[in-house]
Amino acid sequence: MSGKVKLEEISAADFFYRNRSLAGFDNPVRATYTIIRELVENSLDAVELAGRSPKVLVVMKEEREGGEENLPWYRIKVADNGIGMDPEEIPLAFGRVFVSSKYRLIQSRGTFGLGGTMALLYGQITTNMPFKITSAKEGEPIYELTMMIDIKKNEPIILDKRVKGISRKSFTIVESTFEGNYPRAKRKIIDYLQQTAIVVPYISIVFMDPEGHLYIFPRSTEKIPPRPKEALFHPKGVDLELLQRLLNSTRTKSLESFLVTHFQRVGKKTANEVLKIAGIPPDKRPSDLTDEDIRKLYEALRSYKGFLPPDPSVLSPLGEELFESGIRKELQPEFVKAIQRPPSVYEAHPFIVEVAIAYGGLIKPTGDIQLYRYANKIPLLYDASSDVSYQVIKRIDWSIYGIKNPEDEPIAFFVHIVSTKVPFKTVGKEFIANVPEVAREIELGLRGCARELRLYLGRKRRKEMLLKRYELFKMYYELISWTLEEMIGERPPIENLIWRIKEGLGDEDERG
Amino acid sequence: MRMSVDDVKSRVLEVAREVAEAIKEGKFPELEYPPNTQRNIVFDERVGYIFKPTFYGKIKGSHSKSLKTLAGVLYGMSRALDHLENGLTMTKRDFYYLHKVEKLKGTLFPEDQRETDARIILMELILGMPREAFSITSDPRGWIYGDIELIDRSGRVLKADQVGEMGYSVPPRPENIKFKRIGVKAVVAVEKVGPAKNMIELGIPEEKKIAIAILQGQASRSMRRFLRMLSDEGVPLAVLTDLSPWSLRIAATVIYNSINSAHIPHLATPEARFIGILTRDVEEGFFKDYKFALEPLTQADYKAALDNKSLPNLQNEFWQRENDWFLQNRKKAELEIFKAMSPSAKTLKEYFIKYLSEKLEQHLGVSI
Repeated sequence: MSGKVKLEEISAADFFYRNRSLAGFDNPVRATYTIIRELVENSLDAVELAGRSPKVLVVMKEEREGGEENLPWYRIKVADNGIGMDPEEIPLAFGRVFVSSKYRLIQSRGTFGLGGTMALLYGQITTNMPFKITSAKEGEPIYELTMMIDIKKNEPIILDKRVKGISRKSFTIVESTFEGNYPRAKRKIIDYLQQTAIVVPYISIVFMDPEGHLYIFPRSTEKIPPRPKEALFHPKGVDLELLQRLLNSTRTKSLESFLVTHFQRVGKKTANEVLKIAGIPPDKRPSDLTDEDIRKLYEALRSYKGFLPPDPSVLSPLGEELFESGIRKELQPEFVKAIQRPPSVYEAHPFIVEVAIAYGGLIKPTGDIQLYRYANKIPLLYDASSDVSYQVIKRIDWSIYGIKNPEDEPIAFFVHIVSTKVPFKTVGKEFIANVPEVAREIELGLRGCARELRLYLGRKRRKEMLLKRYELFKMYYELISWTLEEMIGERPPIENLIWRIKEGLGDEDERG
Repeated sequence: MRMSVDDVKSRVLEVAREVAEAIKEGKFPELEYPPNTQRNIVFDERVGYIFKPTFYGKIKGSHSKSLKTLAGVLYGMSRALDHLENGLTMTKRDFYYLHKVEKLKGTLFPEDQRETDARIILMELILGMPREAFSITSDPRGWIYGDIELIDRSGRVLKADQVGEMGYSVPPRPENIKFKRIGVKAVVAVEKVGPAKNMIELGIPEEKKIAIAILQGQASRSMRRFLRMLSDEGVPLAVLTDLSPWSLRIAATVIYNSINSAHIPHLATPEARFIGILTRDVEEGFFKDYKFALEPLTQADYKAALDNKSLPNLQNEFWQRENDWFLQNRKKAELEIFKAMSPSAKTLKEYFIKYLSEKLEQHLGVSI
């Protein structure tokens, strides 16, 4: 959908066909969830680029009833008012299995293109039905393409192509049929959509499910976080393979120029120092390097201590205000505090941690830690207890923040990590590894939020205490006043005293 | 001690006005009082317990915990005033029931009587007067039998040996009694009703010119006050109890008063003498051949003996020696031991007279 993205072909669709489980299509339940997720994420990327009143609409219907032997077929339709696509882009974007180019460094939701295409391919494999893409750019004709993918050749087959008038607005609609299991995937899907709504409070998401339920997650703000800038790789953030590919494709004529051109924070002086360590003359042509030279260069890049830290401007965090706004709109907490930590670095990858704590409202105690995890604005829904955030929360003594036991209180934790390389522990990309630098940022952030929570709870508890005290005093002073009237024949007015209690003025040594 | 109803009323109203005034001014009312804790109680063997307030507590109307106490004390005073004005008295049980009313639900409605009993003590401390003064009286307990003519509060002249087989029943507020004529050489205060009645039935008071006071267990406040009044008239007072850990306390309370009522003056009679049963009587004296009639100490008796070790009014050598005997022997002697000595009425009288004569002579120098 995002037409200006550089794409590069990798292996055939065939590969995916044989390795479905790797991408989250292991079974019909998981596949149902993954399809929605991949298509929604593509749309989110598209609307973020367009920027005006962003909306994503998902409609899912049962197309063929399931039976004893067969699962039902579903027709899914995902529409967005994103940037739209030119007709020639469409087959390339959806008709082949691609991976995004690795020649640039930018924070993005995932590997754009691959997931979306896999979702469509899964539909084709399970139902043998074509999929349909309808898209237009503002003021241009609407194109409707009915397509399939030739798995062997990894090529799009356009079955039908229609032009339908001029569109006033940009949009894209993706429609596909697949075999799945909605009832069992439902909870995960709704969780995913709600958690997504929290992290993209500037995008409206609407979902009509096959059971006829309508889920609306309206946006709560007009503000959209700034787009991340593209940046060059940091020299410490490349692996040997990537270095080799950069060397193969560079147009630079010398190694010195190669290092300065393709890496951030490398000037001529630094380049020469690195090459000196590697023992390679600065004017050597990149194409002339032997495998041994490349290995030496790689090791020099790893061992050189003089690089400046990587540039965090490639990152696109949500910001405290938007984060709080998203949490407020979905969970209506009585308290919410988000903190964005300053940029930090692990293994030469820049990252920013944003955390939040919310209390009360729709958040109810569940007997478990309520943790919402996000990586580059994508909610992580599986393996929460293996995640670094969970472990950090577990090791904090919450009682010092006025929380006896986070499992038994209406408290929710939110951790968002943005990075050019999120330190996922596994291929499944469902939880984040216990990287000390990351853990430290999460802990500092959560503690910062918790301090605010403690103040809030202190004020709240004090208010409740004052109210209880006020009621107690009112009751007893009414009785005392009556008793005195019985004895001395007049009833002393108690309002002055009671007022003092209401203002929190009672006995000094009783407060605090 | 002699307070008129008007004195009491004006004291109660004084407290009520003080509280009302503070409330009107928008200040939290406070009631100051001397707590009857050991800090404020001194023990002097010559006079018994003395209430010497050096430290005062406050019931603070600004403090949520003492607010209930403040309301309770004021409510209690309002009921006392109401009873005083209408010439009614109430028992502690009545006072408890005065709190079991609809209006007090959620505030002063008591869980049990201990709650309201404690508040009566507090009222005594705040008002500086015994509860009888503000019309909370006990059921009368205690009699005196003997040649004593007295004038009761209604002005009638009564003879304490002509008002029933146990004598004159000591009323809850004996302060108003006046003695017209006292014809006895001594008063013997007896712990138990049975032996005391026997002494009366055998004609000992008439024959030996003594009076028998029947305590019926721990002497009531009114009985102690009455005995003190007799002592103030110059009558020697002897205390005769069981030989048991509890009876040591009963005797010591007649002589020295108790911690619980230390704030009430004129309840101790330090001139009184504890004449028996003493350990000496059992070991080498009157009952030395009747050890077989001793009773074993119960678990509760033994515990009481242990507690006696720290009671301030039992600290002198005599009391502690008596008390140690229980811990060593785990035995006690009851006044009924006279029956074991003498199953026949004729010899019983002889034994009573013999014992009393010896003891009154020995401890009080009174010959009968």
